[in-house]
Amino acid sequence: MNKYLTIFNVTIKEYFAYRLSFVLWRFRTLINLIVIFFFWFAVSAKYTNFAGYSQPALLSYILYASLISDFVIGTRLGDIAAEINNGNIINIILKPIGFFNYYFARDLADKFINIVFSFGEILIVAYIARISLSTPQNLILFVLFFLCGLMISYYMNLIIAFLGFWTTESWAPRFIFTILISLLSGNFFPLDMLPKTLYQIALLTPIPYLFFLPTKIILGRIDNYLILEAMMAFFWLLISRSIAHFIWKKGNKSFSFWGR
Amino acid sequence: MISVKNLTKTYLVHKKQNNLLKDIFFRQYKKVVALDDISFDIRDNELVGFIGPNGAGKTTTLKILSGILYPTSGNINILGYIPFSKNPEFLKQIAFVAGQRNQLIWDLPASDSFKLNQEIYEINEQEYKKNVADLAEILNCLKMIDKPVKTLSLGERMKMELIAALLHRPKLVFLDEPTIGLDLFSQQNIRHFLKTYQQKYQATIILTSHYMEDVKALAKRVIIINHGKIIYNDQLKNIIEKYSSEKIIKITLDDNCDEKNLTLKEKPFFYSFPEIIYKVDKKTLPEKIKMITETLPFSDLTVEDKPIEEVIKEMFRKS
Amino acid sequence: MINKNKIKRNWKIFWLFSKFALKTTFQTRWGVAFFIGGKLMRFFFLLGFLFLVFSKTKSLYGYSFQEAAIFFMTFNLIDNAAQFLFREVYRFRPLITSGGFDLVLIKPYHPFLRILLGGVDYMDLLTLVLYLLITLYFAFQLPYLSFINLLLYLLLLTNGLIIATAFHVIVLALGILITSVDHTIMIYRDITSIGRFPLDIYREPIRFVFTFVFPIALMMNLPAQVLIGKFNWELVVVAIVFAFGLLGFSMLLWKKAVKHYQSWGG
Repeated sequence: MNKYLTIFNVTIKEYFAYRLSFVLWRFRTLINLIVIFFFWFAVSAKYTNFAGYSQPALLSYILYASLISDFVIGTRLGDIAAEINNGNIINIILKPIGFFNYYFARDLADKFINIVFSFGEILIVAYIARISLSTPQNLILFVLFFLCGLMISYYMNLIIAFLGFWTTESWAPRFIFTILISLLSGNFFPLDMLPKTLYQIALLTPIPYLFFLPTKIILGRIDNYLILEAMMAFFWLLISRSIAHFIWKKGNKSFSFWGR
Repeated sequence: MISVKNLTKTYLVHKKQNNLLKDIFFRQYKKVVALDDISFDIRDNELVGFIGPNGAGKTTTLKILSGILYPTSGNINILGYIPFSKNPEFLKQIAFVAGQRNQLIWDLPASDSFKLNQEIYEINEQEYKKNVADLAEILNCLKMIDKPVKTLSLGERMKMELIAALLHRPKLVFLDEPTIGLDLFSQQNIRHFLKTYQQKYQATIILTSHYMEDVKALAKRVIIINHGKIIYNDQLKNIIEKYSSEKIIKITLDDNCDEKNLTLKEKPFFYSFPEIIYKVDKKTLPEKIKMITETLPFSDLTVEDKPIEEVIKEMFRKS
Repeated sequence: MINKNKIKRNWKIFWLFSKFALKTTFQTRWGVAFFIGGKLMRFFFLLGFLFLVFSKTKSLYGYSFQEAAIFFMTFNLIDNAAQFLFREVYRFRPLITSGGFDLVLIKPYHPFLRILLGGVDYMDLLTLVLYLLITLYFAFQLPYLSFINLLLYLLLLTNGLIIATAFHVIVLALGILITSVDHTIMIYRDITSIGRFPLDIYREPIRFVFTFVFPIALMMNLPAQVLIGKFNWELVVVAIVFAFGLLGFSMLLWKKAVKHYQSWGG
């Protein structure tokens, strides 16, 4: 257990080794949040009900979604492909540390940093905008969906990362994956603003379960399909886990890398 | 060709104060002196080696002479130009080759990078073809020119780098650790090439290297730098005469000498039967030899200079 | 005479760099397909998103869907043109840390030919053409479209590109001066991304910051305002003066950076 705590600590220290770089990274996150947040502020300012959301509700959604998505989506698993390509992964495989556990500890550190600073950034934005945030509700239900989304995200990231076992060009599918997630997972706009059919199709994919549904639940906006959604969430959790393990086993066998 | 007077280079390095706010807005700097008021001259067609421990200032000197770095103070005149001004006419006469650094485009054949350099240095087609052929012949690598650079081994890549760098027949060539990381065979190849190149094209070559073999094989004259100051600037062979006060006597004892009956009048530097090594002050050499010939049954005896590497190491330690 | 030859030579070197960049790109065909695919996906999604927003409301702060789309397309044209020309800036930090920049400084041509313009990205040229066509589509749907406005629009697009050039040169200079940050160019991308939509829909602190502190309004919005005919002439003059001022500043900053360059390794 101590090994993983150490990995966690070391990863956090890495962030602070380059302080200016770190500050600018958070600045970038803040800017991105501001751009989306104030866009919706402007759009919903004139309407008491914009596609089912009042202004405070919509803005609360954007902020909560940002906080939760930063935790769920934030990952260091992108390092894996680079480490496969330059051969450093050998060092990790040869150490007496579980491979999955090593990267999980690193991911946890990344998510921890994200959530601590995201929290501060959200408060800054809420203060500038002078809005009152909705209070969290349905905490138990939220935690269940949240943990589910967290694990689905983790396994999906692993699957993309493992592409590094077969190609040096794994940046390309990861690029597409990142774009898809950033556009469609719900931090740009609440997914239930989509036309009904599109929304229902989306619910069949793993994407809304990452953080959109947990955010909806904590904001108290539960709809009638809760049981179905819970089943789908669990289903995608099982699928993503099996695929990740399968690819890992296969990848280990067909692995090769170049020296420089 | 090269005249350097009172060259000084200081860096400002920012001291980390372990306080986020202070580190960004109220930085404190400390001065690091990389080169301390050095002066030297280099004539046409010389091959000079710069020697020094890591951080001594060799590479900094090379980079200032080639115009990459800005000197803090001092006068530098190369071929009538000030290097840092990067006058294109100056740049067309120099080349800089660094071990393990590529100027070649990684994914494409070296020939593509050559064509780029042809255009950059404005070499006409006839001369370009001749230069490439000549260089490839000396280096014996014509077949590799059209293979993607990333598929070549380190030694082959270095050959391509050399062709790319020397394509325009520069009068002045800077070489920064050219053989680092190469296998012994490749190292010998590169050394042979550099020697041939200099003789054939009468170029001035300035070389830094950690491998004494490079310097011994190529440079007649060396400049030794330590802590940013020049501690030696003269012919390589004179180092032994000037700085080594010791000679080394190597003795191989006779086969039928009985080890148990052997008594050594003086304690040797190294003894493992049948080899004995004595380190002896030059002044006492004659009497030592006398003692050995009188008391030891040897089958072979040689008197050598201390290896030049050791002499130089001692120079570093002293300075 | 001398200058003509110099221009010819620089053009030849630029052309060779871009030819080799294209050759290198084609070595990774799947990468190309995915990259273009991803960019198009993002573009069409955002356009669709804009459409979605306008399906719920007839006009936004006085702008119709076509007008908002012009703002969006203008941003994409300038942003994409900049990525097309200056893709090499994204590779500058690795070039410095590998020590390769030294070998660029030593060559008898202006380093910008290599580090600014040396990696022309033809994938972006394809998307640029597409954006141009879509912009024209929306432009012709505008109720009042005059030839003068169109001309002024092209002028201000170029002006926006000049501002982008200045920003990229500043990023290069900072790449030398600040050794601890690798992602300065992404900060530029994030800040300019607010120019996707008309800035006057934002509240005051935001609007002030992005008009005067980071002049995105002048860079991205003004051309669109000119095309749809809702602008004032003073701003046009200010924008042009600002662009050349920023360009001059960026060149000075670059000169300073080269003097302070401390190289790597060795």
